[in-house]
Amino acid sequence: MINNILRGFIYFVVLVLVQVLILNNIHFLRVATPFLYLYFILKMPVGSSQTNVVFFSFLIGLVIDIFSNTPGMHAFACTLAGFIRHPLIQLLMGKELPEGIYPSYKTFGYGGFFRYTLFFVAIHHVTLFLIESLTLFDPLFLAIRIVASVVTTTLLICTIEAFNIESQKSGD
Amino acid sequence: MRKLLDFLVRKRHWFLFILLEIISLMLVYRNNAYQRNIMFSSANVITGHIASVSGFVTSYLNLRDINRELLERNGQLEMELLELQDQLEMMRADTVLFTGFASDSTEQFPYSFVLADVVNNSVTHLSNYITVNKGRKDGVEPDMGVVSERGVVGIVSTVSDHFSVVIPLLNPKFKLSCKVLGSSYFGTLSWNGRNARFANLDELPRHVEFELGDTIVTSGYSAIFPSGIIVGKVVNFEKQHDDNFYSLEVELATDFQALNNVRIIKNYRQAEQKRIEQGG
Repeated sequence: MINNILRGFIYFVVLVLVQVLILNNIHFLRVATPFLYLYFILKMPVGSSQTNVVFFSFLIGLVIDIFSNTPGMHAFACTLAGFIRHPLIQLLMGKELPEGIYPSYKTFGYGGFFRYTLFFVAIHHVTLFLIESLTLFDPLFLAIRIVASVVTTTLLICTIEAFNIESQKSGD
Repeated sequence: MRKLLDFLVRKRHWFLFILLEIISLMLVYRNNAYQRNIMFSSANVITGHIASVSGFVTSYLNLRDINRELLERNGQLEMELLELQDQLEMMRADTVLFTGFASDSTEQFPYSFVLADVVNNSVTHLSNYITVNKGRKDGVEPDMGVVSERGVVGIVSTVSDHFSVVIPLLNPKFKLSCKVLGSSYFGTLSWNGRNARFANLDELPRHVEFELGDTIVTSGYSAIFPSGIIVGKVVNFEKQHDDNFYSLEVELATDFQALNNVRIIKNYRQAEQKRIEQGG
């Protein structure tokens, strides 16, 4: 239990700092920005209560918002993504997953984890960019931005996951 | 009754979800107001200091470019000084000395400035913001203009004790009244949300004469910027739908992607001008 909280806390701080100090400045070809901090929500243990997932998703979204001067936008998208996380896992992986495991290549399989990441990231990004473009609407450019960012974020998360020592140990 | 309670407990994540989404939407909505809350912005104590540490580190990366820019600017100013001195000499020689004339020393130039470092900057969003490391303690107030050594940057929107948030030209909320250098007709400059190097100058009357490459400067009507500060240069133009106005594409003089030092312009007459404009 304590282990779980400590693990979550370290993930939270490291991912927020990486996001606001480095990744927020990336703007590949002026369209794509990776949002790696979603990795925190993706990696919560499978059995954790939905209330916790929704609350912590909101929290990390709010912290990212405060740093990047976009109050509410990331928080809204993250809360929605956190809310659909449980149904999404059930839909993709079936209901008989053991409780308490962390989503990873080992537990979900390569294809499974990739699909899980892709759908999760897509839902978050579509919400985020739609809210952001309430100020300025430009459908084609919006679509390009969403697709490019989804691809970058998914690739980045899958790469990080492949090098994550913790998930290689814990799958056994 | 028991079943109802059971239901409510079982579905409690639904209520939490709806509550949190409402909170987020309220934040989004409030963010659209011009003046925003200090607590949820990068000007609050914690985020401001983290940003200033990272700004401190990254400011070393561009020293060579900044140095070259300063040298260039210094050279330009020196040339200007020499030219003006030359003109002054000539006028002195031409004019009959009239000792009764003294310049009015009570009349001050109303603008002064504060130097500030950029600690947080974004060009990637649709609404971008810049955080700088000077705040209320340094005399910065909302609605002051911000310029870099190359041209206009934006307007101060939120101020805390040691930091302030600037709304740059790269934000659809910011509209700047501009004119083509040498003419006195003005239009409105706004950003199209795509490229951090370009903005559009709209509502410029059809009969204004200009050429590609002409300089766009501030009009000075707002009391935020003095008139004649460089904004950018014309790279393209087209007629607007209603045919009476031009829409110009302007290449911005300020490079927002490599912004390090800015000057915040104070105008001690701004409050007075605002008051009389609102009264009338």
